[in-house]
Amino acid sequence: MAKKLHTGIQRTPAQKVFRVIQYIVCIFLAILSLFPFVIMLVNATRSTIQIQNHPISFVFGSSLMNNIRILNRTEMFSAVTGLKNSFIISACATALTVYFSTLTAYALVAYEWKLKGPFFAFILGVMMIPATVTSIGFYQFMYRIHWTNSLLPLIIPAVAAPGTVFFMRQFMVPALPMEIVQSARVDGAAEFRTFNQIVLPIMKPAMATQAIFCFVGNWNNLFIPSILLTNRDKYTMPIMVSLLNGDVYKTEYGAIYLGILLTVLPIFVIYFALSKYIIAGVALGGVKE
Amino acid sequence: MKKILALALAVVMVFGMMAVSAAAEDKTTINLWSFTDELQGMMNKYLELNPELAEKFEINSVVINNDGSAYVNALDSALMNGEPDIYGAEADYVFKYSQGVASEFAATYEELGIDVEAGIAAAEIAPYTIDIGTRPADGKVVALAYQSTGGAFIYRRSIAKDVFGTDDPAVIGEKIGAGSGNWDAFFAAAEELKAKGYKMVSGTGDVWNVIKTAAPTGWVVDDALNIDPMREEYLDLAKKLKDNDYMNDATQWQEAWFADMKAESKVFGFYGPAWLINYTLGPNCGEGESSSNGDWAVCAPNIGFYWGGTYLLAGKGAAADPVKAEFVKGFIEWVTLDTSDTGLQYMWANGLMNENGTKDTVASNVVLAKSNGEVEFLDGQNMFEYFIPANEYAKATNMTQYDSIINDAWGAAVGQYAAGEVDRDTAIQNFKMDLSGKLDIEIDF
Amino acid sequence: MKKNKSFSYAKYGYLFSIPFVVVYAIFSLYPTLNTAILGFTDAKGMTGLTQWNFLPKEKFFNNFIQLFKNPMFMMSFKNTLILWVVNFIPQILLALLLTAWFTSRRNELRAQGLFKVIFYMPNIITAASIAILFNKLFAYPVGPVNSLLQNLHIIDEPINFVNKVGTTRGIISFIQFWMWYGYTMIILISGVLGINPDLYEAAELDGASNSQMFWKITIPNLKTILLYTMITSMIGGLNMYDIPQLFNKGNPANSTLTTNMYIYNQAFSGSYMYARAAAASMVMFIIIAIASVLVFLAFNDDEGKAKREAKRAARLARKEVG
Repeated sequence: MAKKLHTGIQRTPAQKVFRVIQYIVCIFLAILSLFPFVIMLVNATRSTIQIQNHPISFVFGSSLMNNIRILNRTEMFSAVTGLKNSFIISACATALTVYFSTLTAYALVAYEWKLKGPFFAFILGVMMIPATVTSIGFYQFMYRIHWTNSLLPLIIPAVAAPGTVFFMRQFMVPALPMEIVQSARVDGAAEFRTFNQIVLPIMKPAMATQAIFCFVGNWNNLFIPSILLTNRDKYTMPIMVSLLNGDVYKTEYGAIYLGILLTVLPIFVIYFALSKYIIAGVALGGVKE
Repeated sequence: MKKILALALAVVMVFGMMAVSAAAEDKTTINLWSFTDELQGMMNKYLELNPELAEKFEINSVVINNDGSAYVNALDSALMNGEPDIYGAEADYVFKYSQGVASEFAATYEELGIDVEAGIAAAEIAPYTIDIGTRPADGKVVALAYQSTGGAFIYRRSIAKDVFGTDDPAVIGEKIGAGSGNWDAFFAAAEELKAKGYKMVSGTGDVWNVIKTAAPTGWVVDDALNIDPMREEYLDLAKKLKDNDYMNDATQWQEAWFADMKAESKVFGFYGPAWLINYTLGPNCGEGESSSNGDWAVCAPNIGFYWGGTYLLAGKGAAADPVKAEFVKGFIEWVTLDTSDTGLQYMWANGLMNENGTKDTVASNVVLAKSNGEVEFLDGQNMFEYFIPANEYAKATNMTQYDSIINDAWGAAVGQYAAGEVDRDTAIQNFKMDLSGKLDIEIDF
Repeated sequence: MKKNKSFSYAKYGYLFSIPFVVVYAIFSLYPTLNTAILGFTDAKGMTGLTQWNFLPKEKFFNNFIQLFKNPMFMMSFKNTLILWVVNFIPQILLALLLTAWFTSRRNELRAQGLFKVIFYMPNIITAASIAILFNKLFAYPVGPVNSLLQNLHIIDEPINFVNKVGTTRGIISFIQFWMWYGYTMIILISGVLGINPDLYEAAELDGASNSQMFWKITIPNLKTILLYTMITSMIGGLNMYDIPQLFNKGNPANSTLTTNMYIYNQAFSGSYMYARAAAASMVMFIIIAIASVLVFLAFNDDEGKAKREAKRAARLARKEVG
């Protein structure tokens, strides 16, 4: 209702200028953002030699079929296997991270318990540990228990994502009215059900944003998977693309860009599917009633 | 808490077992580790030639790209678990596995049952590759290459004719001081080229490739940094190249470097091994009007050097298991020492291993001698004529496992000095500081 | 009243935290602690991770002492701070500005949904691809940026961007800024979307202006999310690795070598100095933790106040609407 009041109002010249500036800034930033994708798309159609000589170009080449042939010929590269593995890892890890982080955050926000403060401090603390060295400890550990060539070590740890818990907690503090939880209790709903049926819907925008970040992060993850997954049937897309890099002597750049493009496309789909939560101010179900 | 942890660990273990116990058959599994699929391609060929082996052995091929040292890290863990039976290492880091901290995990070729001394003598293997593959602790060979990467000077015939009146490799070789071991003739030639508007080389990196393997003492002596005068001289060489406009200031593998390979380029030549012709100069020499194809020739370099190469090693575990050892021996021998027409090196040298038919130099001089190195790119010149002696000039003594790191750091420091960004002393200080964050060696600031 | 509730429901706090705690303990805490103790050992060399001894008492902190004596560590810390500050300040400002624009209830921009989606896109591609792309863009002596600047007659001679300290740091900071402002914006927008709409409706009825609503409602209610952004960005920034490593390997003159690259180099680049790398990790952890606590205190000072204000406003709003 409030909106209608304003749409009819005439804009002053100053407001018009401001609007133009806004559009110019946004369009400029949009061009900057789209730039690498255009390069990627163009280079996927160019030959290795063309790319070596002019890495950046806006003119499409005619080597797309040849690049596809090179990809097909490369024994290490199987888009079907790569996409499947990447999807399993990313989807499962994202689901686990988002769900359990929200649950953990709920424990931190909705209940009063003795270790709550220390637990929150702990989560903040572990978030700050530099991952460089500990990731090595992780893969040494995986080697020791012979948990290589399995997708599970890339999925299960997603249950504990300190950064996401922190975000969910920060989001929940102002956004989750405890009155609703209490009224559910009065209605006799069990705590776990309250969480699943009342809290989760309220957290949708936060979950969607974190899901995007988490999915992208898992999808693009290369270092640990490339060390843990040495069996060709378990390769993820980024591993396969990194293998296209071959040796220093001879690199098929056209095929690499095509591989990168194939890697990015699925994230696009996921991203656009979830982006409606970013675009439209999804009404906060609980509060609106 | 402890109980929960123990329980969870147990669950993890069970899952782990299930994941591993999938591949249990009668065939013996050979674990082949590499950073590209090149070795796997050779293995496929080997099994194709020996179908009886294909029935008894199964190859588990592990390929990990070494971006961010992923291959090296994974290989280290695997070696400690005794996993790899055969593994490949690139020239950049092979020292670690053949001479350095990881050399203890390698089986000697002798332990595999290869009569390595006789094999090397019979095949006339390039001596520098033997140096690289020999473990200092016991003086035994643990790694050999199939390729040889001794380098020569690859120059433009048309420019040679214009400036020196001939494109004869013998004359041009003399002009740049072939075999002299110094840079005097090189700079004299550069001055002559400059007078006619040409550049001697594309960038400082091209010259560094030559110097880095040629210095008489190593980068690290008695656990302390040692800047050999010859390497320090590179500072001045680079500055001289830059200040006198003898080069194009291009960086290797960048746009400008590739542009310098085309017909319209004013750059006289490149230092490099045979693979540089096949994989880099050839494909990037341009098309149609601007193609420099056929306008190239090879002559002896002023200083012997090598660049790149893949080495083959066997795990200790493979040598201990007679069944595996037999197979590994056969494969490694076929790749590194077999000089017959069905040996890998003959096929490699004559372009029979890949679909493009690119020819390459191999480790065995016997194979090279009976192979044909004539290529269209060099206007029919037999490139082996100069690359075979180049393999003799190449040296790999005084190398350390830290070289690739130190070389990179030195290159960056010299680049700063040559461009006039810092003075000479600061460049050296920056270099030392860089190393102090990477290596556990004594550095005198 | 509060006490009563906490009595009956406290066990759910523990119960709902169990999955996190168990998984974290096994897959992160155990390997992390395993690494952390290496800082007090002589772990070195290829077998260093499995075979090591604790340092003798008189040399127990030797690895830490060595670290502070190392000029490269000090330099890398300075580099990291510069690269982070130079990219974070414009990043958070632009993200806030865009958030204000895109959540403005009166001045709705057309196609703003599309813009929001597009601005995050640089984050979709791997850091490796981005770093290589920029490296090619700024190639010398022939490269797209150099050609462009020369054609526009801004410069006469090509600039070797990656051989100059200022330009290299600038480019790396720009890449970080460009990759992450969209992310930060999305986080902030999601925070704004979480604010009770009644607050805005009430303010609108009262005739509040756009900027009044932004400063009086959005910012105070966004404090918790701003705190999140500050902390995570600081952690991410002080752990910066991918872009500087892949763009120019810490060159020129060691000016873009970050602490995380330093740690990585110590552990893996040649000498396998695991003990010193672990010590450096712990030092960085402590520095980040102290900085985080400071940020936390600065924010928490008025977090409580903001919450109270927000609650009061919500009550008022509900009354008026009702």
